[in-house]
Amino acid sequence: MRASLVALGRSSWKGPFVVPLPISQAKQNGTPIRTNARSCTILPQFVGLKFQVHNGRDYVQVEITENMVGSKLGEFAHTRKRWSYTQTKNK
Amino acid sequence: MVVHILGKAVKGKYRINFGLAKTFYGIGLQTATRICSKLGFYPDMRMHQLSEQQTMSITKELSEMTTDSKLLAQVRANIRMKREIGSYTGMRHSMGLPVRGQRTKTNAKTARKLNRIERKM
Repeated sequence: MRASLVALGRSSWKGPFVVPLPISQAKQNGTPIRTNARSCTILPQFVGLKFQVHNGRDYVQVEITENMVGSKLGEFAHTRKRWSYTQTKNK
Repeated sequence: MVVHILGKAVKGKYRINFGLAKTFYGIGLQTATRICSKLGFYPDMRMHQLSEQQTMSITKELSEMTTDSKLLAQVRANIRMKREIGSYTGMRHSMGLPVRGQRTKTNAKTARKLNRIERKM
């Protein structure tokens, strides 16, 4: 992504939008972090951790890789199911 | 009259900035005009009026930028990266639908035309 786009997105004095999460705990135990904070920015410290991000119905398992840094947690937990036709038995 | 710049044919009757903007992906009117003024061409100068040396200077200027196939490869790599990390943006690209929350009940024609993992020009 272009650096200018990132810079234009949000005032730098605010810093990235981050929600307090039990990161140090998860790093020690290796347990996934269950969260509803879809709008939390992924920081470099999150890389390698496992998250369970809420998608409105249940929690989607997301493993953070290096390329994900800078985007939001919610981008990786899709909220809409793709429509597919199912044949019904009873009319 | 046809002028060749970086192996591409440009109509001689075009203004220089317009001709550059039209033939090269990643160069719009603004960038092209900037190149022209940097190299000292007057605004209404046409392609066929370029001397050999001036064509070379344009070529040199263009080869320093990321344009055409280089730029397209960059864009495609970015999209593929989004798809591989499983992001929503990547998914929408692969479905050929708008990425930034536009409506899809009607319209969305540009997205259907362009949005692929191997994005078109």
